[in-house]
Amino acid sequence: MLSGLFARNSAAKDACSVVAGDQAAPADRTRTSGDALLQALQTRRYGLIVRGRQQWLQHPHFQSVFEEAVKAVDELFALVPEGMVSLSLSTFDQPGQPETEVPTAAFLLARHAVTNADYQLFVDAGGYQQLEIWPRDIWPHLINMKDQTGQPGPRYWRDGQHDRRLARHPVVGVCYYEAAAYAAWAGYRLPTDAEWQMAASWRVRGAADAQRRYPWGDGFEVGRCNLWASGHGGTLPVEACPEGAAPNGVLQLVGNVWEWTDGEFRCTDRDGRLVVGATLLKTIRGGAYDTYFPWQATSTFRTAADSMARSPNIGFRCALDLLTN
Amino acid sequence: MSSTVSPSFTACLICGTRNQPKATVCKECSAPMALVHEAEAQQRPPRIVSVVGDSNVGKTVYLGFLLDMLSQRANQFEAIPRGAYSVDLPQNVISHMAYRMFPPKTPVESSEWNWAYYQVCKRGRSPKWVDLVMPDMAGEAIAAEVAAPSTFRVIEQLLARSSGVLLLVDAALAAHGSAQPDFFGVKMLSYLDSLYTTDRRKRIEVPVAVVLTKADYFPECFDDPRRFAQANLTRLCNLCESRLAKVEFFATSVVGALGYATSENDDVVTSIPLHVSLRGVLEPFEWVLQQL
Repeated sequence: MLSGLFARNSAAKDACSVVAGDQAAPADRTRTSGDALLQALQTRRYGLIVRGRQQWLQHPHFQSVFEEAVKAVDELFALVPEGMVSLSLSTFDQPGQPETEVPTAAFLLARHAVTNADYQLFVDAGGYQQLEIWPRDIWPHLINMKDQTGQPGPRYWRDGQHDRRLARHPVVGVCYYEAAAYAAWAGYRLPTDAEWQMAASWRVRGAADAQRRYPWGDGFEVGRCNLWASGHGGTLPVEACPEGAAPNGVLQLVGNVWEWTDGEFRCTDRDGRLVVGATLLKTIRGGAYDTYFPWQATSTFRTAADSMARSPNIGFRCALDLLTN
Repeated sequence: MSSTVSPSFTACLICGTRNQPKATVCKECSAPMALVHEAEAQQRPPRIVSVVGDSNVGKTVYLGFLLDMLSQRANQFEAIPRGAYSVDLPQNVISHMAYRMFPPKTPVESSEWNWAYYQVCKRGRSPKWVDLVMPDMAGEAIAAEVAAPSTFRVIEQLLARSSGVLLLVDAALAAHGSAQPDFFGVKMLSYLDSLYTTDRRKRIEVPVAVVLTKADYFPECFDDPRRFAQANLTRLCNLCESRLAKVEFFATSVVGALGYATSENDDVVTSIPLHVSLRGVLEPFEWVLQQL
């Protein structure tokens, strides 16, 4: 076994990964029953329940459902304390380049990226047909958000179903708008660019203005995340690489898949010229299994993808504002 | 193998020109004479794998990352650079891309080209070492040679001696409807045809990997590169089918996303590689290696 910064695992594929060419195993479809509140619980739309509780106060099972949803949120999300981040405004990542300081309030961030199993609930519930959760100017583009067999769904699915062997892997092949729609459907939202960086850098307000280069600390270690150097060549389950967790237990902020954030990418190049994309650029963070440079997966590295891009290495996780009594 | 014509001269590995024993570059083709010395030291002739393609197709970036990945033992490969000059190309590419810049265009003058001499093997039960010479040639020079053979004799000699060819074609341009990639591919293949065969009844035996670059622009390219080529590079595909005995199609991309920087004061638009995401870089090379 080699050692060093770019040591590569000689076992090219993790046991949980799917080898190309293997027969796909479609996942089961979701079946729900009962009224809207009970269906929301069955489809794990906990954010919808806890944030929209006023509309269900008279429901006979509200109290038990609400408690279950709160408990689920407590398990699935972690607190990110308030802080301050410096967002780079230049694509030339060198000291002295323009930055902006952005304060972040405390919020809840999902411990894992959204999985294929999670997203299946959205698809089976007809998420792509619920126009109210999509921006109006995106409606004409919904027709393009199809899987390999022409069914509504992430790009790499088939027949509207994910491969059950990848149930716990992050969902990929979804554009920014699909990520935002899922979050809205579930009662959550996408983290902002600054919030994501706060979660990864842990720059908590205090006398010591310290931040982490990576969620686990300042030194890159190939075993703590899934980047190109890790040698896996594909996504891993969202529970993998526990040694790379942030202080609050959030996993895989770095590596595995890039993550959409709710931020428009506005940067200048080294000569001060505005950088634009062929279409609207949305910020993505964290690096993925095919990220070659570890320094392009740090807590402060900002990059982007076309908002309509449905890439095999971009997923997302959800955020939630703190719940008030 | 003998590389010396007489005790007073050393023959260039590429063009065979006799050079002074202490010459550092060939006086005819500007290839490093270190190639000869390395080949002598290894006591086996190296195989030349040529990366060709039109200007701006991504040869330098592709080759630079390929060599760097091999050096980092990607996919159970092991690669040893022979000579410090062999590291210049990956160093140049990596140092630029790491700062979100594309490397400068490869100069037309062959004396300015980067040459790479690597010993490569795939680790396994019985690893077999292969010595490879892979020069980074300028697209304009390749185009000029294809248009008027013997304009750049070094290219002519390199390709004539190549054991494998990676023909890079701009998938993004093709996907946007440009016929330029298709036509250049046909010209390149026709040129190779005239180099490798005199009997039109025989196909070219040199393996050719058709590598569709910038495939991230059109992700369907990765799903089925051959199908993409059939739809968007029909002339090239037809010629491949007619004249090549060993051909395969691949899709590759290096840049995860591209930004464009421009200002109101000028019309210059600079492409910014926002981040590096490697896909399909090793596969074409691995296939060619298997054919050797």
